[in-house]
Amino acid sequence: MSIMIGKQAPDFETEAYFEGGFTKVKLSDYKGKWVVLCFYPGDFTFV
Amino acid sequence: MSVDSKFSHKIWQEEELSKMVSGGVPYPMLSDQGGRIGTTYGVFDEDMGVNVRGRFIIDPDGVIQAMEVLSPPVGRNVSELIRQIRAFQHTRDTGEVMPSGWRPGKPTLKPTPDVVGHVWEIWKPEMAFE
Repeated sequence: MSIMIGKQAPDFETEAYFEGGFTKVKLSDYKGKWVVLCFYPGDFTFV
Repeated sequence: MSVDSKFSHKIWQEEELSKMVSGGVPYPMLSDQGGRIGTTYGVFDEDMGVNVRGRFIIDPDGVIQAMEVLSPPVGRNVSELIRQIRAFQHTRDTGEVMPSGWRPGKPTLKPTPDVVGHVWEIWKPEMAFE
């Protein structure tokens, strides 16, 4: 699936840390909301 | 989201992020071990084994409205992110469009036929920098 503005964001489900606990996050559960999806190289990196 | 485990996210939040932001970052920290999701989104660097700085704005219909990808040494501009979200929310609500340099409170354009050829009378290049 290609990534393109104006097209559906590919759905995924993955593990997460949130509010002191472990949980699972599924992108499609956020339908109806604005979502910012941010990737970054790694925890404890400088920038 | 990074290739780190949820356990690493917990320690980073507790040991460092919570010292930058009171209570820590208020959003879920996602784990993408192996870079499967990053690969789908075109931001996984196979040589380094990490996701680079990709950022996607996704609207309430699940449609990608904006994307930005930076290489690791340079951080992002959060004000610009917020400006873009507000612009996409505004156009979704009103159908108006935002010229270069727009931020909340500045004039928008209504994309009607009578504006064609007359944008120069409404929008000036210096407005891109204000």
